[in-house]
Amino acid sequence: MQMATHSQPARDIQSLKVEAAELRREIVEALYESGGGHYGGSLSVLDILLTLYRRILRMYPHDPLNPERDRFILSKGHSCIALYAVLRRLGFFTHPLSSYGRFNSPLEGHPDMTALSGIDFSTGSLGQGLSVGLGMALAMRETNQHTWVVIGDGECQEGQVWEAAMLAARYEVSRLHAIIDVNRFQEWGWNQDPDSDSSPVEDLALKWEAFGWRVLEVDGHDHEKLTATFEDAMATRGRPSVVLAQTIKGKGYKLIESDPIRFHCATVEPHEHAQLLEGSYDIAAC
Amino acid sequence: MTLRLADHCGQYLSELATQDSRICALDGDLADSDGAIHFAEIHPERFIMAGIAEQSMISVAAGMASCGWRPWVFSFGAFLCYRAYDQIRVCLSQSRQPVTLVGSHTGGCSARNGKTHASLNDIALLASLPNIHLWSPSGPEDLKFAMRNILSGDNPAYLRLPRRPLEQELPGTPALYKWSGKPTRVAILSTGLGTHLALAAQAQLAERGLEVGVLHCLLLSPLPEGLLEELEHVETLFVIEDHYRFGGLASIIQHAGFQGKVISRGWSTDWSAQSGSDEKLLEMHGLAPHQLGEAVYNAIQPQG
Repeated sequence: MQMATHSQPARDIQSLKVEAAELRREIVEALYESGGGHYGGSLSVLDILLTLYRRILRMYPHDPLNPERDRFILSKGHSCIALYAVLRRLGFFTHPLSSYGRFNSPLEGHPDMTALSGIDFSTGSLGQGLSVGLGMALAMRETNQHTWVVIGDGECQEGQVWEAAMLAARYEVSRLHAIIDVNRFQEWGWNQDPDSDSSPVEDLALKWEAFGWRVLEVDGHDHEKLTATFEDAMATRGRPSVVLAQTIKGKGYKLIESDPIRFHCATVEPHEHAQLLEGSYDIAAC
Repeated sequence: MTLRLADHCGQYLSELATQDSRICALDGDLADSDGAIHFAEIHPERFIMAGIAEQSMISVAAGMASCGWRPWVFSFGAFLCYRAYDQIRVCLSQSRQPVTLVGSHTGGCSARNGKTHASLNDIALLASLPNIHLWSPSGPEDLKFAMRNILSGDNPAYLRLPRRPLEQELPGTPALYKWSGKPTRVAILSTGLGTHLALAAQAQLAERGLEVGVLHCLLLSPLPEGLLEELEHVETLFVIEDHYRFGGLASIIQHAGFQGKVISRGWSTDWSAQSGSDEKLLEMHGLAPHQLGEAVYNAIQPQG
């Protein structure tokens, strides 16, 4: 079962690979033009977003507020340029991606529902998206609409995430789905200590299970497996589900993958930008 | 039985909800203290016990509001405004979601609860955020008027309700602001519990042969159109409020451009609140009606 966007047919896997590579390049170019930004997390989350929007979500790009749509929240709002790239490709808007973060651009530095079509809720202050998604899922409980929330693994350090997790399980909200972008890095974290486990939150699967959620794990860059896992999550009954998507921070660019702390949020020199464009993986590897 | 305004709020919201299917309520495990119990009993299918988790509760309400519901969130004002200020800022103010925060036990008269449960600067916090309408009723009909106004619009709102029961209705019909008595050269501006203190002081001054107008303000932010003009001929304005002297109604009226002299009568900003009876606490800060009356009397008829 594929819930394709209503205005466009679901993409086949090979097309998604090509599209993911194209969007990665658009993101890198836009970040360079706009003076820098969150390279690492945007590139780690891209395949999750693309798979959701191309193959799972019920969306109406030319009628973005259609009440029958599924809802999506990018709780790790600092990665919004990846969401903007996907939404733009789907036709939600035509503003250039390079206007990201610029004065009077609707492509705010963090997603703003009051400024841009296709943003179901504003985010940026970490930890709030799952609660908002829970509210949406509760509000749409009598429908067959689903609510998806993408959360960072570092973001799971916020206490509010677990407040929402407890309440969602208590109310058995099965059409609420969290996706954790497990790229294993946060802005600074504990990576300076070679003896320390650098995971932002240890034992994520155990923690979510303990909070009453159904836990699924998947390669966060494999579109086919992501599709199957999301469909599996949608079949969950009696409890909410969480997908732990194992990703690589900076996926697709060796320079970024090799220095995830620097590229959490970074600016690059012209020669580095040229290096990025030349050194990206080939499409098949992405 | 004496009821708090929060109880009246829960009861009236239940009535409104029978006609308005968009209304739902969330509570942070204080339903039997903050008035939500009345809604929970009548409309259990539209009531969510959100747990002792105010931050999440407000974001959940915002998510519901974005899907067309009109959520009312109940807790003590302190726990809403202080524990969940960032959620109010992002999910309600910036995102413009029509969630109503029902803050009970607000102000400095926190009885046995003491300082952790008092909210002495909540007006300052909420009035300094865009889009949020801040209501401070002084009686049951005042409250109902505010609630109907909130539902007729689509802004997020904060209903500031004190712990102390305010069963006595204000004279006249409810309005965004209204005079008790005529405007006078030395006048009183007040809100919430402060209006009852002001009316008591006004009565004491009347016994001494002095007439002082009291202007009650129900909507604090945005300040209602025309209110400043009502004060056009007032030279000295006593502002009586159950809030710090800084950041509340006294600050709001000065910020709005009132040109006369403002004498702020609220809680001292070097005080963090404490347990005790309302009477003891008010007297400690010069807010007992006889103290307020004396202060106004001296302003009208300076000694020496």
